Amino acid sequence: MLRARWYKVINDLFGNKTRTLLIVLSMSVGLFALGIILSARTILSDGLAESFATIHPSSGTVRTTELFDEDFIQSVRKMEEVQDVDARRNISARVQTASGEWKNITIFVVADYDDIRVNKVASQSGAWPPPEREILIERAALSVIEAQVGDVVLVRFPNDVERRVRIAGSAYDPAQLPAQIDGTPYGYITFDTLKWFGEPYGFNELHVIATHPENKDWAQQVVNRVKDKAEKSGYTIPMSMTAEPGQLPMDDVLQGILLLMGLLGVLSLFLSIFLVVNTVSALLTQQKRQIGVMKAVGGSTLQILGMYLVMVLAYGVMALLLAIPFGAYGARELSSVLAVFFNFDIYSMDIPQQTYLIQAAVGLILPVLASLVPFISSLRISAAEAMSSYTMGRGRFGKNWIDQLLSGANLWFMRNLSIRSILLSVRNTFRNKGRLTLTLVTLTLGSATFISVFNVRASLTSTVEDMIKWFNCDVMLTFDRTYRADRVEFDALSVPGVAQTDVWIQLPTRFVRSDDSESGMVYMFAPTVHAESLIVSPTIAEGRWLMPGDDNAVVVPSAFLQDEPELHLGGDMMLKLDGKKHTFKIVGTYVGMAFLPLVYTNYDYITQITNRVGEADALMVKMERHDPAYVDAATRALEDHFERIGVRVSMVSTINNERTEAEASFDAIVALLLVMAILLALVGGLGLMGTMSINVLERTREIGVLRAIGAPNRGVALVFILEGVVIGLMSWAMGGLVAIPMSQGLNQALGQAVMGVPLTYSYSMPGLWLWLFIVVLLSVLASFIPARNASSLTVREVLAYE
Amino acid sequence: MNLATVSPLIELRSVVKVYNSLAGSVTALSGIDLQIFQGEFLVVTGKSGSGKTTLVNMLTGLDRSSSGEIWVDGEPLHKFGSEKAAKLRGRTMGVVFQTFELLPTLTVLQNVMLPMDFAWRYSRWEQRKRAMNLLEQVDIADHAKKLPTALSGGQQQRLAIARAMANDPAILVADEPTGSLDSATANAVIEIFEGLVQEGRTVFLVTHDKDIAKRGSRVITLSDGEIVGAKENVHA
Ligand SMILES: Nc1ncnc2c1ncn2[C@@H]1O[C@H](COP(=O)(O)OP(=O)(O)O)[C@@H](O)[C@H]1O
Ligand SMILES: [Mg+2]
Repeated sequence: MLRARWYKVINDLFGNKTRTLLIVLSMSVGLFALGIILSARTILSDGLAESFATIHPSSGTVRTTELFDEDFIQSVRKMEEVQDVDARRNISARVQTASGEWKNITIFVVADYDDIRVNKVASQSGAWPPPEREILIERAALSVIEAQVGDVVLVRFPNDVERRVRIAGSAYDPAQLPAQIDGTPYGYITFDTLKWFGEPYGFNELHVIATHPENKDWAQQVVNRVKDKAEKSGYTIPMSMTAEPGQLPMDDVLQGILLLMGLLGVLSLFLSIFLVVNTVSALLTQQKRQIGVMKAVGGSTLQILGMYLVMVLAYGVMALLLAIPFGAYGARELSSVLAVFFNFDIYSMDIPQQTYLIQAAVGLILPVLASLVPFISSLRISAAEAMSSYTMGRGRFGKNWIDQLLSGANLWFMRNLSIRSILLSVRNTFRNKGRLTLTLVTLTLGSATFISVFNVRASLTSTVEDMIKWFNCDVMLTFDRTYRADRVEFDALSVPGVAQTDVWIQLPTRFVRSDDSESGMVYMFAPTVHAESLIVSPTIAEGRWLMPGDDNAVVVPSAFLQDEPELHLGGDMMLKLDGKKHTFKIVGTYVGMAFLPLVYTNYDYITQITNRVGEADALMVKMERHDPAYVDAATRALEDHFERIGVRVSMVSTINNERTEAEASFDAIVALLLVMAILLALVGGLGLMGTMSINVLERTREIGVLRAIGAPNRGVALVFILEGVVIGLMSWAMGGLVAIPMSQGLNQALGQAVMGVPLTYSYSMPGLWLWLFIVVLLSVLASFIPARNASSLTVREVLAYE
Repeated sequence: MNLATVSPLIELRSVVKVYNSLAGSVTALSGIDLQIFQGEFLVVTGKSGSGKTTLVNMLTGLDRSSSGEIWVDGEPLHKFGSEKAAKLRGRTMGVVFQTFELLPTLTVLQNVMLPMDFAWRYSRWEQRKRAMNLLEQVDIADHAKKLPTALSGGQQQRLAIARAMANDPAILVADEPTGSLDSATANAVIEIFEGLVQEGRTVFLVTHDKDIAKRGSRVITLSDGEIVGAKENVHA
């Protein structure tokens, strides 16, 4: 037989099932969100690291214009700073999708698929290695070319040879940027198949692992040495790049996501702390009178505290029993969705220990601490006061603005109810200011997070817009070599639909430091600068954009100045063009993606110093209409025209596609943000419901009193609903304000991680209104259900309710 | 019995209680001197608002006095914090309230056992046996397994008396125990108190009912926080 006091604990827990359910639910939603975020974060970053380690990632890639053979690979492999090296043929081909559209495809040719030493590719399904005259497609790329294993697709090589090839299987190649992100699918064939396409044998891409791949500077040096060696052997190097050590191509974005999840994790930690504290203090407020009675019959503070601690711990345990399994399930689901998106495999779905520890700490220790606070303050009031009805009457009514708001004048619509008593009831909510504050803080935090998530989403879209908007054209064509600028412009203008054209020239270049060392590849874009230019200025961070009279002026990305300390605005910059050094003057810096270093110079000046006067290798076209269908049709006509007159177009990109692709690269973040928004709406919403329902339950007795003095049931319910909506609206309004700095913080963090600059801030009105709708709906539900329950009890039952 | 030679069970010396609130301060008791002796049936009457409940709160230690001394069984209650007061109350006093103040989620039997549990008195089996005996004494043993809300008002107040008796206290303090009851039920409750006095217990009973007041062995009258009359009743 238990001691009498434990019977009270047990009966309180299980006697009032609605209350227990509400308390447990409010506590567990926060713990659930916390569990998902903490675990998914660890599962993803571990999975990423592990996936990456298994493929023997390269430190860098060196591409040659001429083909090389095994002898050259062997000679690089002999370099002592090179740990390992492997080579491939990389071909930019075109593939026709089921809908008839031609898309770019990168085709790799590997000598021995079962002995790839660097950037390993594995079989995912179907045939392995690729059979002769058949192709394997990267698993993430199948959807991009709208095909399935077994389908036959038409592939066109740069040499204009077209062949129908069967997709014999799919491959898994985590070293490549996932196809759906940049829109470029990957295919894998053998050298026999290559021959069938009429291409000679040979490699054009080296994948190098340095001896200490973890050291980025060293890796860069090694890649440079390999590049030098290739140049000395007579190869032209159009591109070489060094990877961040130990990182997949989408690492920046994924890190951004993980960071965002971490930040939201901290926010949901606070949210669940507030939910727990709020719930527990609501419970203790409700039990105040009984605590007084127990003191009156000789219970000591310690004994009574012990009872409530056990009770609170029991709630915590029940909440954890819900939150831990659901949190683990959610984390695994979320991780696998993201892993598919980023195209890597997760090896272990184990939930990290620290998730359980943090959840248990929040679910068990916090409620205990939370219940200590009201207990310590209750020590100051006497047992008589705890039991007295005077305490109710000792509030400071009429002083604060909430009370003013609820004065009779503002409640005109309730004129026919028993206003005096009803007012008394509504005012009670606001009398307990500590509780009200806690409730509002919790709900405001939930609201702000939800709205912020929408703001970050809106900011991502504005950021893409910002990146795109300085292209004032519809299509950009890149040619295989330079052509006469006036000829291509004239030819283009003869095609129907083409309204205006402009040319530019693009050159690979390198920055030469004062110690004669060279940077990695830098792309130089030289647009024409005049009033009708189809390229307007990118967003300038500092200084200015190019001007018509400029000769050696250059505009560089602001991130470049951070990486290269000897460069500064107004200073000089030595660039190597066609093997010759030229001095440029930095006149401005722009904000943009820092992945790819792009510098801008004046077309007239560059064509002059490189002996290309009057030539162009890229054409910008503005169409008569700008809708995608029209632009696509006109672009096709333009391509056909160029093909007929022998101008070879190597790449076509429409601005609409560029925008879609740029947005697609944020898709994962947007999708994750949506998941988070739903999760937070759930947490915030259930928290809101729980908090309000507990508030109403707490006052079941008051409802009885109101009814005893003749207030109609509907009127009583209305009062409580009104009260819930008032609290909901207050938290919505405050959340909307708090969301401003909160989303700026998230934009800053996310932008820095993904592109090195904060996102373009944008406030999402739809998010704000959506949350308003959710808040009002939930407030009504949350207060209506318990209020109706209370009204359906008989007055006698209600008065006996404690 | 010569009361003067016996030391009092409870003694109040110039007890003052002032309530401070935003509305201003109210002097509920202004200098009360009172001695309560073993075996007495002391009745306190007075109009509503005269300070009766405040007096109960002072001598039971449910609230602190503003000044003055309160001695219970030789111990200085006025110097005790709420913890020590709760312990002392558990040992020496049983309190009965006008609104019963039963714990709604404990059964009738458990309500009686709770004070014994808090006082760490008696083994669990003894607690149960004592509780059953007390319930029999107040005639509600049949309802031991029910929840208090299932009892009538009179039964609830008897339960409250049984609970007050749980730790075999030297004195029972009751604040308007019949205030919420009809007169027939009230009479039965007062009879229980009389029975307890006959057994030799001390009862301190607050009422504003003149007829009930007559049944005490001594009656004092409060008005505006002061004792304005005292009268010994001689019963057969
Ligand atoms: N907690 C309190 N706060 C303020 N005033 C109080 C409080 N308790 C009692 N009073 C005031 O003290 C006086 C005595 O009250 P009380 O002892 O309850 O009288 P009685 O029990 O005789 O009706 C009354 O004027 C009452 O308004
Ligand atoms: Mg009173």
